[in-house]
Amino acid sequence: MEQNMQRLPAEQLFQREIEALIANEKYSVPTGWQMSPKSVLTYICGGRAGDVEISPKYIGHKRLVEIAIATLVTDRALLLIGEPGTAKSWLSEHLTAAINGDSTRVIQGTAGTTEEQIRYSWNYAMLIANGPSKEAMIPSPIYRAMEQGKIARVEEISRCASEVQDALISILSEKRISVPELGVEIPARKGFSVIATANTRDKGVNEMSAALKRRFNIVVLPTPDSLEAEMDIVQTRMEQLSGSLDLNARLPEAEVVEKVCTIFRELRKGATLDGKQKLKATSGVLSTAEAISLLANSMALAGSFGDGVITDYDLAAGLQGAIVKEDEKDGKAWEEYLENIMKKRGSRWLSLYQECKELNR
Amino acid sequence: MEGGEKKKEQTGKRSGKVKKGMPHVFGIRHLSPAGAYYVREYLDRICPDLVLIEGPADFTELLKDLGSEEVRPPVAVMAYTQKLPIRTILYPFALYSPEYQAILWAKEHGCRCQFCDLPSEVFLGLEEQRQERWRQAMATIQEEANSPEDVPKSEGILQEEDKESRTTYVYRRLDELSEDGDQETFWERTMEHARNEEGYRKGSAEFGRSLREFALGTGDASGKENAENLLREAYMQRVVAQAVKEGTAPEKIVIVTGAFHVEGFLGSGKAMTEREWKKLPRLEANKTLMPYSYFRLSERSGYGAGNRAPAYYELLWDGFCREEPDYAARRYLTVLAAYQREHGNLVSSAEIIEAMRLAFSLAKLHGGNLPVLRDLRDAAITCMGHGNFSEIALAVADTEIGTRIGSLPEGVSQTSIQSDFYRRLGELRLEKYKSVTAQDLSLDLREKLTVKSQKSAFLDLERSFFLHRLRVLGISFATIQKVNQERATWAELWQLRWTPEAEIQIVEAVLKGDTVEQAASFELRERTMNHTGIAKIAAVIEDAYACGMPTSMEYAIGALQSTAVDAVAVTEIAETAGRLSVVLQYGDIRRLNREPLIPILSQLFLRACLILAGECICDDGAAKMIAQAMTTLHEVAVNHDFLDGERWGQVLSEIAARDDLNTRLSGLAAAILLEAGQMDGEKLGCEVQRRLSKGIPAELGAGWFAGLSMKNHYALIARLNLWEKLSEYLVTLDDEEFKRALVFLRRAFADFTSEEKNQIAENLGEIWQVNPSQVSEALNGPVTGEDLDMLSGLDDFDFGDI
Repeated sequence: MEQNMQRLPAEQLFQREIEALIANEKYSVPTGWQMSPKSVLTYICGGRAGDVEISPKYIGHKRLVEIAIATLVTDRALLLIGEPGTAKSWLSEHLTAAINGDSTRVIQGTAGTTEEQIRYSWNYAMLIANGPSKEAMIPSPIYRAMEQGKIARVEEISRCASEVQDALISILSEKRISVPELGVEIPARKGFSVIATANTRDKGVNEMSAALKRRFNIVVLPTPDSLEAEMDIVQTRMEQLSGSLDLNARLPEAEVVEKVCTIFRELRKGATLDGKQKLKATSGVLSTAEAISLLANSMALAGSFGDGVITDYDLAAGLQGAIVKEDEKDGKAWEEYLENIMKKRGSRWLSLYQECKELNR
Repeated sequence: MEGGEKKKEQTGKRSGKVKKGMPHVFGIRHLSPAGAYYVREYLDRICPDLVLIEGPADFTELLKDLGSEEVRPPVAVMAYTQKLPIRTILYPFALYSPEYQAILWAKEHGCRCQFCDLPSEVFLGLEEQRQERWRQAMATIQEEANSPEDVPKSEGILQEEDKESRTTYVYRRLDELSEDGDQETFWERTMEHARNEEGYRKGSAEFGRSLREFALGTGDASGKENAENLLREAYMQRVVAQAVKEGTAPEKIVIVTGAFHVEGFLGSGKAMTEREWKKLPRLEANKTLMPYSYFRLSERSGYGAGNRAPAYYELLWDGFCREEPDYAARRYLTVLAAYQREHGNLVSSAEIIEAMRLAFSLAKLHGGNLPVLRDLRDAAITCMGHGNFSEIALAVADTEIGTRIGSLPEGVSQTSIQSDFYRRLGELRLEKYKSVTAQDLSLDLREKLTVKSQKSAFLDLERSFFLHRLRVLGISFATIQKVNQERATWAELWQLRWTPEAEIQIVEAVLKGDTVEQAASFELRERTMNHTGIAKIAAVIEDAYACGMPTSMEYAIGALQSTAVDAVAVTEIAETAGRLSVVLQYGDIRRLNREPLIPILSQLFLRACLILAGECICDDGAAKMIAQAMTTLHEVAVNHDFLDGERWGQVLSEIAARDDLNTRLSGLAAAILLEAGQMDGEKLGCEVQRRLSKGIPAELGAGWFAGLSMKNHYALIARLNLWEKLSEYLVTLDDEEFKRALVFLRRAFADFTSEEKNQIAENLGEIWQVNPSQVSEALNGPVTGEDLDMLSGLDDFDFGDI
């Protein structure tokens, strides 16, 4: 069964590392946690536990991870915000995996999320048959987290309607849920907290109220600050991904990763890496996560239809798809970039330039 | 001393015990609150007879003043050379400087206290020597550049300069290795939160010892930095030896010095001998005390040890004094929140509490009990700044650095010019401007009729004189701002801001005179004597006038008169005349006699009239300058009745009419005449026709037109017959000529705004009988393929030598 899962939860994927960290624990463990804050930091940022190598899950900005963990130690809720693809959900999943050994208490926020999904809902058949009872109640992930003293995750909180967001306010400040139907009030056990993620870029999102924001410690996750850091992230993630995806292709060469990251960074910033030339930015986000999926996509192309090595042709197809979204302007900007920047970069870029030009007609 | 014994002593020291017969050494970091607190405890314990402090020995004479109760730190002691170029060394002290607290302790307990480092004149001498060596190296390199076949000799010297010094290297490695990624934070976390005096002393000694081990390295102790360190230690040893010789028991001496030197003091180093002492380079120097600012302290974090956040460090010091270890953390966050609220941001008490909890939690993650600055700041960003540093950046700067400036009681060993400066500040009621935030001051130089005393009637005028004098001396305390009301000669707007640099500049000005006025007068005289042309002297006259210094003005006028006889270019005459004219236009406002200026100005003006036409035979580059001169001279002529306006008009007419001059200048002359109403529309029309006729090369015609449009654009736009003539001209051209003219006309119209260009297009449209809407349609419509072809056709056009 586990083999067939498209993607294992973090705590199962990195079970060995988590167990090693617990076994080698040297510091005091907060109530409700399975390891000390220091070990959580090691789990996220990499290091060693006994003789087990801990792979880094979040690269760069160690200080932000420190702040996030320290926030959770103070039983305060944590809000991770940032542009799409800055590893908000990734970080939130790994934090809960390390702290609780369970990253599955999650509410996936959508415009259709209702207040019941935040608090609790009912099994209506039982409710009608037997009246309100503990058995007829379906607790939400947050409800369960409170009962168990664990951490619940709320993904994409800014996608929820504002009244649904409001439901969180009292939960976070009172740290208890009242169930008037049963005449009880469930207090949160020590160790309960919430990690929420929100997007700063997408339009059509409900702005979070100041009252709710005040309940959170906010950590803004930035895009990687250097080409090297971004390449590092992409390469690490590609290695982890290719294991689980059976792509039948070789991992992309450093040069390929460098090209993709360079193009993405330049289009994101609207200037060349050396800052000497300005260029038109595209409307898409072009996040690190997109670079990763682009490369995975190219690997799939190479594996399924080619000889398993990513060619410039595969790459060009991926780039076209990622950069030119529905907007006509993107095509123009991409063409300008190809002609003004890439064409002039010399022979190393020439074949990629030709493939891209061919596709962008 | 025998080798074996030496070794024993060293090991003895390392275990923290002090052998009998050895002085006590307290290693510190400059500007360390914990050090400042514990050095007092240490002194209480030892009760020495003599306290020696790291700092130039000759500053000892300033100690009495420095320890005075009226001194409010931050202050600095400064030494400066008596000759130009001025070199300075500066030792700033904050309230939480261990040295400062040691000085206070000594004063409170009636204990002797001295500085014990190399005297400032030696420091300055060493610096001079280093610069000299550098200059020589540069000279050698230049020589080598000319004789490339030689093996470069200078490589060694250059490398020494380029190579990262060992100390910088050690600090950089510390940055990389410490858990916080920053040696400042490392120091704060380990040392500033030390629980007791012994812990601090041992930790700091160990820190210094390790630093020394790395910096002095293995065998490579030859770097200049190390050499200087060893030299200083040898001198300090000498001071100790002297004190012992004079009868102070060694164990009754406490030395307060940088952690780096602790080991050097009690280790193997020998005291400097009399002969060595005599051989040191020296540069005569004066000394003074001066107020300092936290802002400057934070900028100069290179001094000894860093101090990026003086205001925060003061909080740490307060915390020690109150014996509340978490005082700084609480205070920091509340002050920051208060700043945010004051500036319209909502910060609740709950957020402060959360920030506090987060900061402690972050500290714990690093194995500390108390948050350090970095933890506090990050907590504030997370809880008050919603994750964005930019939201609280100003509050952070205010809370960490602060705006405090120090002050000294009146008459405390300042230089004469400093005292004069402060006395004048008081007299002119400018004291409140002595602050590090820039403040505006607007002056009305006119006599105030509503006040009784003569003094207050002209207060603003006196202020203006004073500020102008500072400006002349290059003292950055006051900068003059542009006045928006044109020609309001009675109004001045100044921006005043006191900075330690300004103070240093004041001190440096002492070489020029004992008071601000004397120094300014010296400076102006100096400038007059070293002038490089009459325009420069005129600038001096203008300055002297602004400074209200009649003697300097007379002196400069005399110099001008004798120089003006020589042949001078018209551009320089114009500049001079312009400056003199400004002074004359001020009228009586500055209450100085301007009569002597009138004859000079008339002379100069006459000379300009005589030579201007001749100088108009020139290329386009020179024409630009002459055009400016012409405009200036015209303004001068308009502003002063005593000048020969009629002659000026004739000169202009001549220039406008002659064909052998630079056409641009002829055009400008025509424009000036036009503006002055001395040329009518009809005459202009003829002139246009003549200048733009078919036979004349297009660039000459366009140049003339460019000159014509240098003045008032609207005056031109409004004259329809001008455009008629232009239109006629265009019609006569054949294709090739048109292309040529197109380029030049385009250049001539480059200075016109798009609005003005539209109006011209409308004018031409009217002549060609097209209505405005059609014109605008044609102008603003998209460029068609046909147009593009025509434009790209221009690319192939041969511009020849243009």
